[in-house]
Amino acid sequence: MKKQVLAVIGAAALAIGGAGCSPSTPGAAGASGDGTGLIRVVLWPGPEGDAMADVVDQYNSGQGKTDGVEVQMTLLSRQDTFSKEATLMAAKSSEQDIYFVASYNVGQFAASLTPLNSVDASHYFPAAIEGLQYQGEQYALPLDVSNHFLLYRKDLIDSLLSDSAQQAMYKTISAKVLGTVRAPKPADQWDLDDFKAMSAYFSKTENPDSPTQYGTILQSKNLLYNVMLWDDVLWGLGGSWTDADNKAALDTPEAQQAVQFYADIYTKKWASPDSAQAEFPETQAAIKSGSVAFALQWSAGFAELNDPAQSPDVAGKIAIAGMPGGKTHVHALAIALNKYSRNQAAATKFLSYLAQPAAMDIYAKSGGIPAMPQVLSDNQGINPVFAEVANSIDKYGYAEPVFPKSFDAYSQLAEDLSGAWVGSTPVADACATANKNLEALLAS
Amino acid sequence: MAVRSQASRARWVLISPLLVFAAVFVAYPVFQGVQTSFFGLTLQNPSAPWVGLANYAHLFASQTFGGAARFTILFAVLVTTVEVVLGFGLAVLVNRQFPGKRVVFSCLLLPIMIAPALLGIMFRLLLNGDIGLVPALLGKVGLTVSLFAPGSVIPLIVGLDIVQWTSFTFLVIYSGLQSFPPDLLEAAQVDCAGAWRTLTAIILPIMSPVIFAAAFLRLIDALRTFDVIYVLTGGGPGTMTTTLSIYVYKTAFTSGDFGVASAASTVILLVLIPFVPFVVRRIARPEGRAK
Amino acid sequence: MKRRRRLWGTTAAVVVIALLINVPWLNAILVSVKPTGDIARGGLFFAFSPTLDHYANALGMAGYPFPRYFLNSVLIALGSVALVLLIGIPGTYAAIRLGLGGRWVMNTASGLRLLPAIFFAVPYFLLIANIGLLDSVLGLIFANTFLNLPLGIILLSAALKDVPVEVEEAAWIDGAGIYRGLVAVVVPLIAPTLVAVSVLVFIFSWNDYLFALVLASYDAMPITLGAANFVTSTGIRWGDISAATVLSTLPPVLFAVFAQRFLVSGLSAGAVKG
Repeated sequence: MKKQVLAVIGAAALAIGGAGCSPSTPGAAGASGDGTGLIRVVLWPGPEGDAMADVVDQYNSGQGKTDGVEVQMTLLSRQDTFSKEATLMAAKSSEQDIYFVASYNVGQFAASLTPLNSVDASHYFPAAIEGLQYQGEQYALPLDVSNHFLLYRKDLIDSLLSDSAQQAMYKTISAKVLGTVRAPKPADQWDLDDFKAMSAYFSKTENPDSPTQYGTILQSKNLLYNVMLWDDVLWGLGGSWTDADNKAALDTPEAQQAVQFYADIYTKKWASPDSAQAEFPETQAAIKSGSVAFALQWSAGFAELNDPAQSPDVAGKIAIAGMPGGKTHVHALAIALNKYSRNQAAATKFLSYLAQPAAMDIYAKSGGIPAMPQVLSDNQGINPVFAEVANSIDKYGYAEPVFPKSFDAYSQLAEDLSGAWVGSTPVADACATANKNLEALLAS
Repeated sequence: MAVRSQASRARWVLISPLLVFAAVFVAYPVFQGVQTSFFGLTLQNPSAPWVGLANYAHLFASQTFGGAARFTILFAVLVTTVEVVLGFGLAVLVNRQFPGKRVVFSCLLLPIMIAPALLGIMFRLLLNGDIGLVPALLGKVGLTVSLFAPGSVIPLIVGLDIVQWTSFTFLVIYSGLQSFPPDLLEAAQVDCAGAWRTLTAIILPIMSPVIFAAAFLRLIDALRTFDVIYVLTGGGPGTMTTTLSIYVYKTAFTSGDFGVASAASTVILLVLIPFVPFVVRRIARPEGRAK
Repeated sequence: MKRRRRLWGTTAAVVVIALLINVPWLNAILVSVKPTGDIARGGLFFAFSPTLDHYANALGMAGYPFPRYFLNSVLIALGSVALVLLIGIPGTYAAIRLGLGGRWVMNTASGLRLLPAIFFAVPYFLLIANIGLLDSVLGLIFANTFLNLPLGIILLSAALKDVPVEVEEAAWIDGAGIYRGLVAVVVPLIAPTLVAVSVLVFIFSWNDYLFALVLASYDAMPITLGAANFVTSTGIRWGDISAATVLSTLPPVLFAVFAQRFLVSGLSAGAVKG
C-alpha cells in the first residue's frame, strides 16, 4: 500500500515537472511593436465568436500573411468575458491585444483602451459608431448589433384574427384587463396594452381554452441585460433614465408604470412563473416548448427558433415584429485596442482589416449580424433578421445615456427593480431606490 | 534522548516548505489585497489614488452589503447544520460491509465532483419549467409549483446546497470513522436497543474533533457560496439571494470597483477571524488527546 | 439469514440516497444523449433516438480543443494534490507534534479559507504574471495549492492529533529518527485522512473556476472553463454542456475509486489497534 501511495505522489510530481514546460504568454516588444507578430483577441462564444473565427482564419491565411500578423482568439463564456477583461485591465496586462467590449461598457473600459481615431469607420451604421464614442474619441469598432423584437407564434395569432368565437373571447378578456373592449390586432400593430391583453388571453388562468399555458415570459432575473429589455417598456411609455437636465428620472409616473406593467403581468400569472429567474435561454426554451405564445427577445434568438432541427415543435410558426412599445434598445458589440498592448501597430492592422466591408461580409456569411448597412442589404437572403435590424435601428432605436458608470447602472437597476418586476417589493419603493442609486452613479 | 534534540532542528526543516510557500503565495497577495482596500482602484480610474477609509465608509453605508452579510450567515449556518447531521448519519450507515459498497460509495461522492459552476447550469436545466425534468415530474403528479417564484427561491437554493455538499461532510466524517476501532462500532450496531446510547455516549464524543472539522470546513466554504446561486438567480429577485461573494464579485467585475471589493473582503475577514481560534482549539488540541 | 437481509437493506437505503443526490448528474446524462430538438420538447419527452453528437462536440467537434483542456485539468489537479501533501504533511506535523506554531498555523490557514476567492483575483494575477507563469499549468497548480492547503492542514491536524504519542515514541526508541518516524509510522497511521485530503484537493482543484478564469486564457485552460464555451451569447447549448459536464466528472470519479481502496480498507483502524 505504501508503494501505491508513493506511485501516486510520483505521478503527481511528474505532473508538476511536466507542467513547467508549458509555454507562458508570448511577449511582444515595445508599446507599438514593429507591426508584425502574434496578437490575441478576446471574444465570446456564440454567433459572434463563430463568425469571428472564420474571419480570423481567412485573415491568417490571406491578408495576415501580407501584414506579417497572426491572430489568435481567446473565447470566454458570455458571463465571464467582461470579468476577465476587468481583471486584465485592473492589472494593466498586455496579455490580450484586442478586447471585446460593447456600447454599454465602453465608458467603463475607456481608461484602458487606445482610441482608434485613425481607422476608417465610414462603412458602419452612424448610430453604432456614435455609441462607441466616449468623450469625443472613438474607442471601439462595432462588430455586431443587438436589438429587441417581439417574437410571436404566427399560427396562434392568425387563428385568433380569423375566428369570431376567439375574437369574442379576446374582447371579453381585454375588457376585463384594460377596462375597455379591444379587438385583436396583428402583432406588428400592438401597443403595450395589446401586449398585456394578449398575455392574458393566451394564459390558462384567464382563458381555459388558451392553446398555451401562459401568454408570455418576462426576462426578470437580476441581470443587467434584462434591464435593457425593460427599458423598451420605459421608453415606450415616454420615460427615460434621465430627464432633460441629465438628472435621474426613475421616480416618475412613467417609470412606475413601466415596472407595474411587468408586475401586473407576472403576478396575475399571464407570464410563466419562471420569469422571476429568466433570461435569454429560458425565454428560448419557453417559446420552443410551446408553453408561451410570444415574448420580447433579442434579435439573435430568432434564427434558432425557426430551425426545425433545434425547435421541432415551433419551427416555421414563429414570426418577428417590432417592439409593442415602439422602442428598442440598440447596442453594438465591438472590439477595442488594449492601451497596454505591446503590439499596437499589428493590432491596428487587424482592426483596419475588420473595418472593411469585405471582412464584415465574411462575418455576415458566418452567422454574425454586422453593423454595416451595405453588408446587411447585400446578404438579406441569409437571415431574415438582417432587413428587420436595419429597419428597426433607423426607426425605433434609442440608446440609454452613456456615462462612466453606465455599465454599473444597468447592474444596479437590475438589483433595485428585479424584485418589483415580480411583485416581491412595492413598485414605488423600488423606483425610489433605483432613482437614488442612479443619481449617485450619474454624479460619480 | 537524541531524538528530542534532533526534533528542534527537524521541525524547522519540516516546516520550511510551508513557510516559503506562505511567504510567496499567501503573504504577498493578502498584503496586496488589503492594500488595495485603501486605494480608489476602479476601472474608470486605474491610477488608483489613496483614499484612506473611504472604501470602508462606502461599505457601511451600503444596504446591499449588510443584507448580503445577514443572508450569507443564515444560509451558511442552516446548510452546514443540515449537511453535518445528514453526513454523519450517512457515514454511520455506510460504515459497515454491505453488497455493492464500493460502487455505491463512489456514487455518494459524485455531487462534489461536478464543478459548481457547471452544476449551477445543470440545476438551471433540471429545474427549468419548460425543459426541466423536475417540474415535468412534479407536473405528472399534479403539482404545478414554480421553483423559481420569489416565494420558493430561498428554500430551493438551500435544498440544492444540501444535495450538492452533504457528500463532503459525509466523506470527512466517514474517513474519521475509519480510525475508530471497528469492534466498538459493530457492537453498537448489533445491539439495536443500545444503539442510541452507544452513539451519544461513545461515538459522538470520540468523533467530535472530526465532526467539528467537517462542520468548520463546510461552514467556511458555505460562507463563500457563489457559483450555484450566481448562475441560478444572479442574487435576486432584488437582492434576496445575494451572498457576500456575489456582492464582492459584482462590485469588482461589474462595477469595476476593486477598492471597495477588497475592503469588503477585508471586513469579512476581520469579522470572522475572532471565531477561528475558538473552533481550531476544538479540532487540534494537542494536549486534549486521551492517552 | 436475517443479518444478510439487513445488509441488503443497507444497500437499498444507500442506493436510494445516492440516486437522490445524483439527480442533476443523471439528468445531464439523459439530456446529453437527446437530440437538440428533443431537448426543447421538455424534460419528459423521449423519442428514443439517442445521439452521440453532443459527446462529439464536447470532445472537439465544436472546434474547441477539449482533449487539451482535459489534460490541463488532470495536470493541475494531480500537481495540486502532490504539492498540498508535500507541503502540508511535514508542515502540519512540525506545527502540531513538534510544537512549532501549532495553533497559530491552524488559525492562519483557517482564516485564509474564509476570504472570498475574488479577493485574490487581481493580486494573484499580478503575482503569477510577475513570475512569468500566466496561462501556464504550473501557475494554476500554485493557485490551487494556495486555495486548498488550508483544507489539507485542518484535516491533517485533526488526524495527527489522534495518533498516540506512544506509537511514535516506540519508533524513536527502535532507533528511527524524526524523518523516518514520520514517513514509516505516522504517515501510514493517518493514511485514510491523506486519502480524504487527496480526493478533496483533487476534486476542488478540478472544479476551480475563478482562478482558472483569471489566470488561464489559452494554453492552460482547464475543462471547467472550456465547458463554459457552450454558454453562448445566444443561449446555452444544453446538450453539449451536459455532455461536457458528464465527461468532466469522469476523471475525479476514477481518482476517487482508485483512492477509495485505501479509505474503505480500514487499514488504519487495524494499525491503531496493533
